[in-house]
Amino acid sequence: MDDKELILKAQQGDKKALARLVKEYEQTIYNFAFKICRDKNKAEHIMQETFYSFVKSLHQFDGKSKLSTWLYRIVSNHCLMLARKMKNRPFVSMDDDDGLFEEKYAVDWTTLPYKSAENEELKKILDNAISKLSPEYRMVFLLRDVEGLSTEETAQVTELSVPAVKSRLHRARAFLRKELNEAFQG
Amino acid sequence: MKKEKVTCKEVMRHICDTLGEDLQSDRCEDIRKHLEECSGCQNYFKTVEITIDYYKKYNVKLPDGAHERLMKFLDLEDCD
Ligand SMILES: [Zn+2]
Repeated sequence: MDDKELILKAQQGDKKALARLVKEYEQTIYNFAFKICRDKNKAEHIMQETFYSFVKSLHQFDGKSKLSTWLYRIVSNHCLMLARKMKNRPFVSMDDDDGLFEEKYAVDWTTLPYKSAENEELKKILDNAISKLSPEYRMVFLLRDVEGLSTEETAQVTELSVPAVKSRLHRARAFLRKELNEAFQG
Repeated sequence: MKKEKVTCKEVMRHICDTLGEDLQSDRCEDIRKHLEECSGCQNYFKTVEITIDYYKKYNVKLPDGAHERLMKFLDLEDCD
């Protein structure tokens, strides 16, 4: 049974079909929530809220977009809501991106000891760098580059225009690269 | 159209914009040429790709019991 059939059944009140849909996407949604908030407890909370919203609004799903796109939209909204609630830390300003492209090539990345992202030290560097980005930038980078959505799908999920997605994406890429480069030097 | 020489900064911007996706088009001919000859920009391109790759590979597994807690939260625990 594919997603379409499962959704149809779930919409008709088939709880087993609903449970199968949840099971199919829970790992993806948890992983994405974690990547945005970088905290396991918050990620689980966001996952629960996401599927709760999903169940409640299931009857509105018309199948015009992919189910995954729809779920990304719900989980992104929950992540943003949570981030706005705890607006305690200032994020880096991206208004002037010129400095992002001033480059010295002190580090040769190919000789770094981090062969895999499983390295704990590397994970810390990655967490730290992305935490400096505002959730709005994080979201675009993660949806487009990490989750592999198209630019158009990313625009749909974030309710931004395509040019806005592109400009955020390019700054986020440049910023993260610069942060990692500095961390590797240090 | 400005006729000035392509700068490294311009190339880096372009890399962050497109990840080299449309470097074949005429508009990008100058950038492509620069990229072929400039090791600094080549290194930059490589490190942008590595950055994305690091984040792609950094994944977390659903914690123990999280699935059961989710099903309970959704009142679906008997449908599992
Ligand atoms: Zn150059």
